[in-house]
Amino acid sequence: MAIHERSLVEPERILRKERLVVDGVDVSGDWNLIIMPRVINDYDVDFGKDVLSQPEGKTINQCYQCSYCTASCPVHNYWDERYNPRHFIYLARLGMIDELQKRADVMWRCVSCHKCTHRCPKGVLVEEVLKAILKVMAKRGIIEEYPSKKFDKFFTESVLEYGRIEDGELLFGWIEKQGYNVVKDPILKKPIPFVGETPEWLKDLVMKPIKSMNIGFLVLNAKHMLFHPKTKNWSKFKQVLRKVMQEEGALH
Amino acid sequence: MKSVLVVGGGPAGIAAARALGRLGVSTVLVEKDGQLGGNPIKNNYHTLIPRKLKPSQVIGPYIKDVEQNPNVKVLLNTELTACEGEPGDFKVTLSNGEKYNVGAIVVATGFEHFDPRRKGELGYGLYPDVITNLELERMFSVEGKLYRPSNGQLPKRVAFVFCVGSRDRQLGVTNVHCCRYGCALSGLQGSEIREHYPDVDVFCYYMDVRTYGTWEYPFYWAPQEQYGVRYVRGRIAEITYSPADGRLRVKHEDTIVQRPAEVPMDLVVLVLGMEPSPGTKKVAKILGLAQDPDSQFLVPSDESGSNIVSNKPGIFIAGACKGPIDIESSFSEGEAAAAEAAAFLGAKVTV
Repeated sequence: MAIHERSLVEPERILRKERLVVDGVDVSGDWNLIIMPRVINDYDVDFGKDVLSQPEGKTINQCYQCSYCTASCPVHNYWDERYNPRHFIYLARLGMIDELQKRADVMWRCVSCHKCTHRCPKGVLVEEVLKAILKVMAKRGIIEEYPSKKFDKFFTESVLEYGRIEDGELLFGWIEKQGYNVVKDPILKKPIPFVGETPEWLKDLVMKPIKSMNIGFLVLNAKHMLFHPKTKNWSKFKQVLRKVMQEEGALH
Repeated sequence: MKSVLVVGGGPAGIAAARALGRLGVSTVLVEKDGQLGGNPIKNNYHTLIPRKLKPSQVIGPYIKDVEQNPNVKVLLNTELTACEGEPGDFKVTLSNGEKYNVGAIVVATGFEHFDPRRKGELGYGLYPDVITNLELERMFSVEGKLYRPSNGQLPKRVAFVFCVGSRDRQLGVTNVHCCRYGCALSGLQGSEIREHYPDVDVFCYYMDVRTYGTWEYPFYWAPQEQYGVRYVRGRIAEITYSPADGRLRVKHEDTIVQRPAEVPMDLVVLVLGMEPSPGTKKVAKILGLAQDPDSQFLVPSDESGSNIVSNKPGIFIAGACKGPIDIESSFSEGEAAAAEAAAFLGAKVTV
């Protein structure tokens, strides 16, 4: 059977079968097409409980859907209206899995600006809660490990090692991890910026500001690249931090 | 000195009678039921908002004071049937045939709970597992356990349906007001369920949550944050029953997700609205008191800043006969009405 107003029905709700038998009657042919209803049949309440039991998800139940977070979110405001932290929290809490799945392609796009967390009137740690939601989704196999998580791991390692990040090293170390052929200096075994293979977009992105930077700042950056700045007494503290993070399940 | 007639033995009425008795004013308290305390006692409320005290803790001491005060004459199973005379010298007739001369009248005739049978689509009376919040209170206070009336077992899921008989023009102009207590009581009942039965999931279906003033934290934030009560935005439009699994379905649109939903539930609690009691409507006619043209609740006089002064001099109105109000505010209004009535009589209070 043809659907004359196909534009009104989402493709995933149209079910067409080659052969269809209903109550013993063969209805293949004209009647083999079914439009699935839009009705929500049930909640998967265990999903919300799973998120709540993650160390990052503890504040999910504090949300009262005011949408302060989404109104502040740069990804929602400038990129994609489907990225809506407030809505993700609602869907996760009630366990509306199919709705979450519809948004799986945008859900990892958080840029970690933390405006949501800083502004939330209910004290929801929004950015963390979203990470917990992604974690549970990944555990259930309804979202692939998101690209930004790979960077998160690299970032965390850098902070754990030095107590702070060094922009150049972080950037080119990351470029190396992405499979680019970087050139390393022979002594410290660190990637030398822009010497080896570098993506074109990165050259554009970095060369423009470098041209207008003052020379002292460039020298300082170069010095930091060579001798990674380290937080005072970090080596003692980092053992404690690593242990605590391991115990809380925050290290992956 | 003249005496005062208090009509109604609920929270506002007993508070007025108690205060008048303590001020040394001779008082007649008439109550149409066989006991004092009004709706909270009659319907076996379990825990009262906002202080989470038992009715016996809050209302008990008032009843005891009223019954023990020699200045207060309590007449149970009695109604006001007629009133003549003028302010300061009313001649009232009661249903037991007695007549009294009183100087002032305090009207505290209260409210009644909405009858959910009037919302046929919600299936109350048709499906045993659709109950009212009064019946849930009775489960807590009298029976001491939560169960599905259909099979006596513990429900896995409980839904609260907000605004049944409130904010509803379909019922006529009489029910457009907000019941004021429903959101808070549901938050409390949901918390109590989750506290005693942590495996039971509780869902509150709301249009908006009106836990005003200091009620916001204990009756909205705490249920969500401490007890994990889930709030779903959407008004339940229909309740159906599925013979296949013996569970109810709550039909609504989830207005946040913007999708229709028919979610299985084991027990559905209707959060009832408030209407003026038959006694309030009757007394308003007898005494000629101004009523809101829509809701029929009593309205205070525009000429006084006080909201307990009626349009008739010498007659004071307190409590839920003027619209939804919480129990502790009813006590306060009763006491304020007592002070107004005593002042109207020109009572000289000795300390």
